[in-house]
Amino acid sequence: MEEIALALACCLVLAFLSKRLALPAIPFYILVGVLLGKSGLGLVPADEYTRYLSYLGLIFLLFYVGLEIRPKSLLRQGKSLAISGFIDLNVNFFAGFLCATWLGFTTVESFVVGAAFYVSSSAMAVASLVENRKLLFPESETIVWLMVIEDVLLILLLSFFTAGSENPLFLLPAILAVTLVLFAAVRAGKTLLPALLSRNDELPVLFTFTAVVSTLYLSRLLKIPDALVAILLGSSLASTRAPLLERLSQPFRDVFLVLFFVFFGITVDFSGTASLFPIAALTAIAIGSKLLTGLLVGRILHGSYGAGVEIGSSIIGRGEFSIAFAAIYGSGAISALIAAVVILTSLAGSFTARFSGRLKAFLPGE
Amino acid sequence: MGVRCVELPGIGTKYELETEKGDRVAIIFLQSRHFQLYVQQKGAFAPSAAEISPSEARRLGSLLSGAIIEAEKETVEIAFSALADLRIRVHTYLIRKNLAGKSISDLQVRTRTGVTLVAVSRKGRNIVSPPPAFTFEDGDIAVAIGETEQLQEFERQILES
Repeated sequence: MEEIALALACCLVLAFLSKRLALPAIPFYILVGVLLGKSGLGLVPADEYTRYLSYLGLIFLLFYVGLEIRPKSLLRQGKSLAISGFIDLNVNFFAGFLCATWLGFTTVESFVVGAAFYVSSSAMAVASLVENRKLLFPESETIVWLMVIEDVLLILLLSFFTAGSENPLFLLPAILAVTLVLFAAVRAGKTLLPALLSRNDELPVLFTFTAVVSTLYLSRLLKIPDALVAILLGSSLASTRAPLLERLSQPFRDVFLVLFFVFFGITVDFSGTASLFPIAALTAIAIGSKLLTGLLVGRILHGSYGAGVEIGSSIIGRGEFSIAFAAIYGSGAISALIAAVVILTSLAGSFTARFSGRLKAFLPGE
Repeated sequence: MGVRCVELPGIGTKYELETEKGDRVAIIFLQSRHFQLYVQQKGAFAPSAAEISPSEARRLGSLLSGAIIEAEKETVEIAFSALADLRIRVHTYLIRKNLAGKSISDLQVRTRTGVTLVAVSRKGRNIVSPPPAFTFEDGDIAVAIGETEQLQEFERQILES
């Protein structure tokens, strides 16, 4: 028990520091884990108990992501979102995939790297837009919606990964069935749920926590990844009282997610497999591929490369979802690499987002 | 010159307005319940931005909608265009020593001036609809409601008595 207190106390101090410096906190949480765990001082071991707690962080994060996915408002975005989403997926996934293959990883491992490359950190992109006061620019709308479509494709990638290990003939109908049942259940409780959620006592919190935690059980029962069930649950509940549910689940997400990052850091093994060269190469390509995405999207949707620099520089930071992929599907070597890429790109991204104006000066003819 | 409304998932809602003269103004309602206000002059490269708390936003709002704000004395004017242009003012007044110990019925506020006192703020606590027997203390802030002339009468007859 004292290990969790120690880890959280370290995180509290570093979180405070990162806010003062206006840097993203995620790389610091991972670093706390690395320092305390296997690759560092070895003070905090990872056991079943801490694993369960940190896994709750991931489940709450994905539930929260699901709440933000509202199919109707996504469809309203139409063609421009389809274009930016398509470019983003292709450029980044293949950049990561090819780079990992070139470094000698297996196809499955390279897929994980590709997925981790693809998903930018929504939390960091959104925070940097607000902090750097960029919300007036039309590019900011493109960026925010790009983050949403990444989350949607995350669902597909998650299903795709599990389809590789399980029998797809069984899996896909099971996923479909769960989706239908969840949406139908929410629709049936259309009057009951809002009444329950807007009560003044402990019932709303209890309901939210129970619903999210039971996804772990439901997924084991149906042999579907719990990550997927959590997103689907969030997305189905989004039609009832999404802002309220976000407020109810946020404290759980915040605390458990910090534990998730710390214990990911603790289990990462930096010895041997991850040497300096692959880390440097992957990080450089990770930054380059998002910048290229930005330039292409900016040119096509906003008619200028300057807008592209703005977009690219805001989405460089990889974070929570890349770590999630590494934690669920990554082998030891892959996890260490992705941890390093997340730490480096998130720090680099916070600087590029802040100084995007100066980056634009490098563009010829602008 | 319409206001454009954009949903920004994870951030909030953006309302954007291009003025007749070509300047751009945007207000973002953040999920943290704070606001960001952007102003970009026509032809300017980058906008200026300010982050505003809910209470600051309310003050700014009443300022823009035409009310005058002074320290310790603020007015909000409400115009009901459907009721033959009925205009009512809500005004706050600082109660000084000269009224301390006197009650609302002692002062005959309504009969003498036509003004109604709707609330009194005392040391951070609000007393809504104070009874006639309510006694003032030095430093109270009274909220009075009435027409402009009635409020002027209130200032002259009651406050400066």
